[in-house]
Amino acid sequence: MDNKNISNRYKMLFAGILVVAAVFLAVHPCRAQIIAKENEEVKTLGVVFADGRKTEDISLFKIESDSDELFISAYDLARIFKATKYWKPGRKRLVVKIAAKKYIFTLDTRVVMIENQPVLLRMPVRYSDGFVMIPLEFIRDILAKSRVEKVDFDEKRLVLTIGAPSYNVTGIIFDESIEGTRAVLTLTDELLYHVDNEIPGLLRLKIYGGKLNTLKISATEGKGLFKRVRAEQTEYDSYLFFEVEQSASSFRVEFMGPADEDSGGRKLVIFLEKGELPEIPDADFAGRKMVEILQASAGEYRKIEVKRIIIDPGHGGPDYGRISESGVEEKQVNLEISEMLKRMLIERLGVEVVLTRRTDKLVPLDQRGEIANVQNGDIFISIHCNGWFKPEAGGFETFFLAPARNEEESHQAAHENSSIRFENPGLDPEKLDELNFILWDMVQNEFINESSKLAELIQKSLDDRVSIRNRGVRQAGFRVLRGLKMPAVLVEVAFLSNPREEKLLLDNRFRKKVCEGIVEAVRRFREKDMIVEGR
Amino acid sequence: MIKNDLGRKIMFVLLALLIIVTAIIIIVRRIDLKEEEGPRVVREVPGEIRTVTLFFANSNADGLLSETRDITSEGGLENEVKQVIAALLAGPEDKKGVSAIPVGTEINRVFRVEDKETVYLDFNRALVSNHTGGSAGEYYTIKMILKTIEVNFPQVAKVQFIVAGYPVNTIAGHYKVDTPLSVRKWR
Ligand SMILES: [Zn+2]
Repeated sequence: MDNKNISNRYKMLFAGILVVAAVFLAVHPCRAQIIAKENEEVKTLGVVFADGRKTEDISLFKIESDSDELFISAYDLARIFKATKYWKPGRKRLVVKIAAKKYIFTLDTRVVMIENQPVLLRMPVRYSDGFVMIPLEFIRDILAKSRVEKVDFDEKRLVLTIGAPSYNVTGIIFDESIEGTRAVLTLTDELLYHVDNEIPGLLRLKIYGGKLNTLKISATEGKGLFKRVRAEQTEYDSYLFFEVEQSASSFRVEFMGPADEDSGGRKLVIFLEKGELPEIPDADFAGRKMVEILQASAGEYRKIEVKRIIIDPGHGGPDYGRISESGVEEKQVNLEISEMLKRMLIERLGVEVVLTRRTDKLVPLDQRGEIANVQNGDIFISIHCNGWFKPEAGGFETFFLAPARNEEESHQAAHENSSIRFENPGLDPEKLDELNFILWDMVQNEFINESSKLAELIQKSLDDRVSIRNRGVRQAGFRVLRGLKMPAVLVEVAFLSNPREEKLLLDNRFRKKVCEGIVEAVRRFREKDMIVEGR
Repeated sequence: MIKNDLGRKIMFVLLALLIIVTAIIIIVRRIDLKEEEGPRVVREVPGEIRTVTLFFANSNADGLLSETRDITSEGGLENEVKQVIAALLAGPEDKKGVSAIPVGTEINRVFRVEDKETVYLDFNRALVSNHTGGSAGEYYTIKMILKTIEVNFPQVAKVQFIVAGYPVNTIAGHYKVDTPLSVRKWR
């Protein structure tokens, strides 16, 4: 008994030591030791870059004991301004070149030479803990006031904005009248857009290829029937979410006139009308209260009869497309899905279907377009599987063409080229090629509204059927979509580089769902289910 | 005896629990520390240094991430572009970044011809032959390079891809790269 008691006591002691050790480790301030520093970081400067770099927090330091002036390290200064710096330790001089302008700092002096003109700072430049430290007043009083680089410094909130932004959605205003409220967006180009109100009381406007200042747009106060606006920016597109009053009965969206005479930009107007909210009996909406969409998108849809569909199985022959870890070839999966889609389209919609390749052979991208045009297709659908460098990326997405040039440039180039042709009957083959390229591009431009519509329908329809990530509809410059005289889309069914999706791509049930989704989208597209639709 | 046995068992369970908890706390703190490592300590070094921004993709293939590097500012625009591309080919430092440029890709030459706004980037064959394919992969191969050029070299409007001395139609079969691409407008 005694022995047992003793061993128990030891165990208790051991346990006690462990508890103390655990508590010590949990509480011990290791972090402070790792970032040991002589300089005392007192504040952070938020830096916003207009060029797409992510926002950063930069440390600011207090160095002089008798002053509250903040200092920034020359290393950070040069980095955030993408400056060139030249350090001459012997002469204690640091030369910093920002946007071709030279600034020379000398340690422990207050003089900055700007293009050989001396300017006096209130505090001297210091060398501390391995860094040249520059008083923040250099940014506040010198850089922010010079016109060399576009710099905006908010002293109160310590936010520095660097660079001239390249936004193409530049502003929004609301105005109210007796009939309703208008939201007027200013755009530098006529960009494609898509509107939906899947969630009652919320209008979602997607601007393809849009770039906007989310803070500025979201800070705009709503008016009348528009309660609030919130903006979001993705890598590719801009989104505006409008919260609207329940008393709004209908809306329409259209482009109106140039934004202003000089810039030649465009105004995109969303008009909300007052009235009682109608109950929409449409079964598609499952009794949800919806704001009636009078016109879902700009541009006239011409009546397109869908009698013949061109399916383009991506890649083929020596072009394998993506090859998965276990050796599954994209070209083969594309062909098998295309064949299933063909059978289903013929059976369920009674249309004719032409495949751009029926075997494992190489068909050049331009030739696929020619086949589609010669066969007089009414719709072109290219089938692909995606691939990425990491296994985690996944999902399905649908693309329509982003022309390589904007319309204005194409018109101008086409004009220039036609004069070249008249002037030089013996055409330079290089210039002929350029002319071909431009015209080839402009052909699909005519169908871009229908193409975007078909893409949205396919994406929505797939979203209803498959459980992988919806990556949305995107506009991109796919070669195979150029030059097509018909609405044309490219579907990336899933990622072969994602192990879970690779399995799905080999699974007939998944393939069937994908094909059914596309067939349903084509059915809706054909039935002109375009004016009132949910997405 | 029975009571004592029970006591011993309880003690063992308690001890085991304590050891596990301690281990977890230590591991969690280690991870914490790794993520919170302080800013890169870079001392001022002699020579003319330019800080540049590189763009890599994220792991979901739906956006870009930026990192900065120092290059020596000499030898004119071509040399600076070559250094920046070489830094891009070396890959990201941040674990979150993904390089969408195929392994083994090297930059042979950077040059401009009479049109000073267009930069020609001459890569080795690995850019095409080692590309693993997929349109997302191909999109970001092109986008990473164009965005990095756009942000660091505002005087450059277009980029022409060259592979082993010759222009190519496409890198992985979806996008056409046989003519110069606009660094600002390409998508
Ligand atoms: Zn593909």
